[in-house]
Amino acid sequence: MAGKKLSILSSGLIAAAAALIAASLFFPWWGMEFFAPQYPEGLNIIVYPDKLEGEIDIVNGLNHYIGMKGFSEENFPEFTYLKYLIGGLALLTMITAILRRKTVLYFLIGLFSIGGLLGIWDLRRWLHDFGTDLSPTAPIKVDPFVPPIIGENTLANFITNSYLGTGSFLVLAAFILILIPLWKDR
Amino acid sequence: MKKWLPIASGLATGLLAATVFFADFSPGNPGQAVADNSKNKTNAEKVYVPFGEKDEYYLFASGGHSGQMFIYGVPSMRHIRTVPVFSPDSATGYGFDKHSKEMMGGFTWGDLHHPAFSETDGDYDGKYMFATDVGNSRAAVMNLETFTVKDIIDVPNTSGPHCAAFVTENTEYMFLPTRFAVPIGREYAPLDDYSEKYRGVMSAVTFDEKNEKLNIAYQVALPPWSYDLSDAGKKVSKDWAVMTTYNTEEATTNLEINASQADRDFIVLFNWKELEQMVKDGQYDEVTGQKMIFPEKHKGGMYLVPVAKSPHGVDVTPDGKHFIASGKLAPAMTVFSFEKAFKAIENKEFAGERNGIPIIKYESVMEKEVNPENALGPLHTQFDDQGMAYTTMFISSEIVKWDPKTGETLDRVPVQYSPGHSVAAEGDTVAPDGKYLIALNKIAKDSYLSVGPSHPESMQLIDLRGDKMEVIQSAPVNPEPHYAQMIKADKIKTITVYPKDEKDPDAVYSQEETRIERKGNEVHVYGIAMRSKFIFDAKAERPDQIEVKKGDKVFIHLTNIDFDQDITHGFAINGYDLNIEVQPGQTNTVEFTADKAGTFPIYCTNFCSALHQEMTGYFLVKP
Ligand SMILES: [Cu+2]
Repeated sequence: MAGKKLSILSSGLIAAAAALIAASLFFPWWGMEFFAPQYPEGLNIIVYPDKLEGEIDIVNGLNHYIGMKGFSEENFPEFTYLKYLIGGLALLTMITAILRRKTVLYFLIGLFSIGGLLGIWDLRRWLHDFGTDLSPTAPIKVDPFVPPIIGENTLANFITNSYLGTGSFLVLAAFILILIPLWKDR
Repeated sequence: MKKWLPIASGLATGLLAATVFFADFSPGNPGQAVADNSKNKTNAEKVYVPFGEKDEYYLFASGGHSGQMFIYGVPSMRHIRTVPVFSPDSATGYGFDKHSKEMMGGFTWGDLHHPAFSETDGDYDGKYMFATDVGNSRAAVMNLETFTVKDIIDVPNTSGPHCAAFVTENTEYMFLPTRFAVPIGREYAPLDDYSEKYRGVMSAVTFDEKNEKLNIAYQVALPPWSYDLSDAGKKVSKDWAVMTTYNTEEATTNLEINASQADRDFIVLFNWKELEQMVKDGQYDEVTGQKMIFPEKHKGGMYLVPVAKSPHGVDVTPDGKHFIASGKLAPAMTVFSFEKAFKAIENKEFAGERNGIPIIKYESVMEKEVNPENALGPLHTQFDDQGMAYTTMFISSEIVKWDPKTGETLDRVPVQYSPGHSVAAEGDTVAPDGKYLIALNKIAKDSYLSVGPSHPESMQLIDLRGDKMEVIQSAPVNPEPHYAQMIKADKIKTITVYPKDEKDPDAVYSQEETRIERKGNEVHVYGIAMRSKFIFDAKAERPDQIEVKKGDKVFIHLTNIDFDQDITHGFAINGYDLNIEVQPGQTNTVEFTADKAGTFPIYCTNFCSALHQEMTGYFLVKP
């Protein structure tokens, strides 16, 4: 198993990936923007690994008409540990860069893929949960709905736009960086 | 006396001519504007502000005896908002909630005359607007982030501050001189003792910006004359101020005749820096709790300048070098020089004194008398960016443009009708904008759809940009546009929601914190308003009900937790004569005694959302 060590260049790329992952902690990962005739300026939900930003209270105020649960940081247990998971991933990536061992890199890529898929699954689960678990006593009845992770959706007088944030792109870039050594050092 | 004869007879002829002229106007034809269609089209384009675009200026027009301030956009002349100042206003709950009710001090109306912006270096800074109440002798300050009144004070010893407000170059003071002389402390004194016991007290009011509080620094016991208009100096004259006065005859009855006898009245010229120093040096008496300067006892800082009889306006030129007085009953404007006045004071070129105040010799301070042909009733002067003067002619119903340097008449334009004041864009700052002038007309006879015997007053927008002045827009107004101020729109920075104030013990920002507390016979409600419900006690079976006993003192603290632009809620108790407003993020309090037993619905008065109609609750008073 003590195969060839990864090249210095590959190690550097992996180190850069570690830096990108760490940096992503400080940027929004995902967001949703709502537009309506009365809100031409748009309302935002901006999701960081550890917090929500945007006009959350206003969105909640409007959502109560259709019986949707309120968004709040307490509602998402992920916020308490997600930043440690991401930090841990950055640390593991850095260790991979230092060890320069291919097996460790395979392990990292595996972990990364699983983590990413879990993340997407988790987000989709929340979207499904919020969009379908509507209060039966809501003043305005709407059909259950699930907004897409990326893309447009129309609900009553609102057009919503979900999009990936800078943090997601940084992590995506990091993933590509750690894939490059696979090809370079093959 | 001889030289006043032709002037007086000229005036009489003018009055007669104006009356005849007036009667000759055919109904429904205000001037010649209607005739020329193509010209109307161009004028319409000049004032048209398409939907989505905003006006270039805010116009703050005093609402006279409505006690309110009317806010318009210029050039569209669209009415944007009415801000209640001295009178209760159920549209905004003003005068019902605790703060505004306390500010009203038991009065139910006011006569808002002269609005004035706060200034920095002689220019409007867009932070505050001051106003005075001639009806009940008060001063108010409005915050321009929220367009709401923050403080109102009663001004003791002053009766009818008509001549105010005018603020000094850096808002150090605003001065409130009196229109109706009264004995100090408004004590009883027979009118036979008028000259001895009555005074026209002027108050120097300061504004504490941090606490948004008005205060009286000192007062001056001026002679018992009527003080009419005023202006603060600028640049070279920044420590000085001028005001006109009539009834120097000290008449006590039938003023129409008896206060119009003297050939000359006065402009009071004073140095507020010097008065401030006198107060610091203890040169004052303590009277009715005020630091009062008596000019016959505490000498300095005040002078009289003779002026043609019964003057109205006195206005300082933008460069601060001159002041122009307009004689309501003398058909001329007089240009006076500050520099000449300073020299005359230095050389003591006095022609005696009145009531202990030195009179500067007329010839020593007068620069020129300007008398445009057949222009009658000059009242008030404004300025453009070139330093040209625009004077309203009350009797001949026109605006006359003239050059204060040469006295030459440059242009005239008729207005409909009887302009009292006028306001130019930033027209009384050190740097007027030119561009626009608005004539504030006292009557609008037949100009608009009839509303019965009493017609609306009117404001007319005059374009100053071309070679000739041109009336390009006309707007009816509620009674009465007395004076106005026009400010560049981008100088005003409003807020969209009230910021959270975690230190406010009356505020509750979440549903869980809402509660009703009873202390003896006091009931304190800490509630919230949000689209589309009231929550007074989240844990109660019915969170939107308040139940008290007859005779309880009720305190309702209501916070609007919709931190969303323009989502204002109202709170009214049906049948209880109560209505307050909470703007986004605001906490407001209403205090009252539940003196009627019964069942009283509560509802939101300010349309807030699709379920506004459902935003209700109950106020139950057990017998
Ligand atoms: Cu409401």
